[in-house]
Amino acid sequence: MKWRVISIELSEPLAELPACAGYEGVRVVFFQNGVPLGHCRLAAAQLPASPQHLANQASNAIALAVGDYLLEEGFRSALPGVPEPQPESPGRALRSLVRLKNPVQELAHRLSAQVESTVTVSIAVCTRERPEALARCLASLAKLSEPAVEVLVIDNAPQSGRTREVVELFPGVRYVCEPQKGLSTARNTALALASGEVVAFVDDDAVVHPKWLGRIRRCFSDSNVMVATGLVLPAELETQAQMIFEESFHFFHQGYRHRRFDAKYFSTTRNKGVAVWEIGAGANMAVRRTVYELGHRFDTRLGPGVFGGCGEDSEFWYGILAAGWSCVYEPSACVFHYHRRELNDLRRLVYQYMQGHVAALLLQFAKYRDFGNLRRLLLRLPAEYAVLVLRLIVTGFALDQRILLRGALGCLAGLRFAFRKPQQA
Amino acid sequence: MWNKVRERYYIAYVEIKQPLEAVVAPDGYTGVAVVLRFLGRPVGFFMQGGAGIAADELATAIFRHAGKQILSEKVYADLRGSLDTSPFPPLDIAICTHGRPDALARCLRSLDAIGLPCDGIRVLVIDNAPRDQQTASAVKEFPRVHYLVEPKPGLDFARNRAISEATGELLAFLDDDVVVDPCWLEGLREAWAANPDAGAFTGPILPLELETTSQVVFERMGGFGKSFERVRFANVLPESPTYPVGAGVFGAGANMVFRRLALDQLGGFDDALDTGAPLPGGGDLDIFYRIVRAGYPLVREPKLLVYHQHRREYGRLRHQMWTWGLGTMAYINKSWRHDAAHRPEIRRWVWWWLCYQLSKLFAPFLRRNRAHWPWDMVVAEVAGAIVGLCGEYDRSIARVERVRREAA
Repeated sequence: MKWRVISIELSEPLAELPACAGYEGVRVVFFQNGVPLGHCRLAAAQLPASPQHLANQASNAIALAVGDYLLEEGFRSALPGVPEPQPESPGRALRSLVRLKNPVQELAHRLSAQVESTVTVSIAVCTRERPEALARCLASLAKLSEPAVEVLVIDNAPQSGRTREVVELFPGVRYVCEPQKGLSTARNTALALASGEVVAFVDDDAVVHPKWLGRIRRCFSDSNVMVATGLVLPAELETQAQMIFEESFHFFHQGYRHRRFDAKYFSTTRNKGVAVWEIGAGANMAVRRTVYELGHRFDTRLGPGVFGGCGEDSEFWYGILAAGWSCVYEPSACVFHYHRRELNDLRRLVYQYMQGHVAALLLQFAKYRDFGNLRRLLLRLPAEYAVLVLRLIVTGFALDQRILLRGALGCLAGLRFAFRKPQQA
Repeated sequence: MWNKVRERYYIAYVEIKQPLEAVVAPDGYTGVAVVLRFLGRPVGFFMQGGAGIAADELATAIFRHAGKQILSEKVYADLRGSLDTSPFPPLDIAICTHGRPDALARCLRSLDAIGLPCDGIRVLVIDNAPRDQQTASAVKEFPRVHYLVEPKPGLDFARNRAISEATGELLAFLDDDVVVDPCWLEGLREAWAANPDAGAFTGPILPLELETTSQVVFERMGGFGKSFERVRFANVLPESPTYPVGAGVFGAGANMVFRRLALDQLGGFDDALDTGAPLPGGGDLDIFYRIVRAGYPLVREPKLLVYHQHRREYGRLRHQMWTWGLGTMAYINKSWRHDAAHRPEIRRWVWWWLCYQLSKLFAPFLRRNRAHWPWDMVVAEVAGAIVGLCGEYDRSIARVERVRREAA
């Protein structure tokens, strides 16, 4: 169950994709000028793949993203929970689609002439006892095409000095120790200490694309945007656990098209439950420090290290949207994430994710009194798990579905959040 | 069955250009079906009730049904660069027919209109167990078309006869009740040029007419599958746990082209499937399945387009759905027996298929758009499938043995 991860840059002429021994196949991500546009999988039996075959696979995989970049309307990504956007002027949209010549060249031209932005960015990596992964991450940050004003490493409740030792190998990286355990606390510390206007967070088990910073920076040219998230691609798919995480669960993957979540979106879906967890992933996000100064914090009752395995990020985004600001998802700002390698770690992760998700829903309801959160918790989630049980039976208890079902236990555990004593932040 | 209203759809062929013109159905039609083409390539198909579509509404519909396809065609042309379609191997086009001279003549006329047969491309008509001279005299009008008789009744006997008569590297099979699109041959040339190693090529099958309720209902149920996405299938599909058992995704027997060597290697079609009544189906699924399992790429090319005349009578459509269930499961039965390595996939597919049929029955209650699948059609198909699973393949083998003995 191991798949090779390959990037193909479409600005270069397509070459034959050779067979790769020892792998079930390849998972190809297509890039244009370093912007990811789509992916496909080719099994070992389909290799070697001729340039024509690759061209065909690519054209099916990237069409929607190309349309989104090149055309005003018609290919906008749907937002979770609302109907697909229809072109306002279909006649005009169709005219520009029909007139479009050489979309790939046109896109290359368009992407090379991106607007510049003067926003200053600090990078923050929150980590806890993962020195090897951290070193890999910091090495990728050193190769960024445009440097950040600073790189902070927030060492969260360290048990050894290994993180500090790694950081000392990278000149210019600032080491900060945050003794209180919890990712939320570490993130707040980063927001408090950073000097840039924007703080870009990247997980320690990810590596960044060389153009990541420049792309996420540009999102903040719009003064209403307070949070930008980016695409999280798999860095490797060497084990079954990584494969299941990537291909069956889609926890991280929000597509190759730009999305904007604003106050209007928030008010439309408020009664049904705002799908903030689909804004992106905390593994790759940037926050404008203004919101910190205005009093928005990552809730320290939530998040890894405190309660559940996630939720602190989406709950934060919920607060941002509720306050009338916008969050954007910008797929061109991509990082490559090393998923959990072991099945047992994956099982624990699914459990913790759902625990954190339920806790975040409870907290959002407590803070904002939006019944949509309860609706999601009491109607939507049970329905989803009922469907999952059916699917489990139909698929003959497939492994990925079985692991997902553990999330139901996580949900129940998440309910405990409501009965926890308030903790001192 | 519950359709008290007679339905009749007007088929409009819309070339996507500027400005768009409204589609207006003549009097007496209850809806419109639109075949969308862009720069001569078929890119989409959709159906809609009502007397016509205004230009603005049409633009929205085009975007919804073909927007992605138009763009991906442009991207493909851009990435692929130019394609040399001049080298093309000799081709035989076989039309197996049985007592439908008018339809056959229509099919031959459509081939004639694109200059077929010609140098390097032969057209063979295989008259299957003829009862009279009508087919023979219909073919006489086309002097360059070869006429053969296959006395053993059964479509796959006729198809195997075509294999033994064919001389070209490629061998195409068309049903007698289809009409080929003007770009059919061009589509095949392009598909061949891009995939010279493929074992089979298939293409979309659109309705030739939607004049009766039965034809409209059939098309609304999905017809023969109308994907315009160009796909090169291999013997694995990473996303699917049942692949390639649901061989319907590849296409249908009304429009398929093979590398003759591949057919020879596989021993041709299975005579015990597609025998005509009572088991007129499954042979195409079986050959697609075997081609793909043997490791040959199978290419679905949108330009390889034909139009098929669906059953006009509602009762016959229901019978057709029965035979689909029957044929599918006879093919499943056979594959189960001969492809032991693939049994888990087959089991999963049968299971999935039953759940899918169930979901069709409940679809009117779950979704707003009522009755894509009339329940009597679903019941007919499931009943056929159950009979098919209960030893239809063995019964068919016995029947075919008898046919062979009688012929000998």
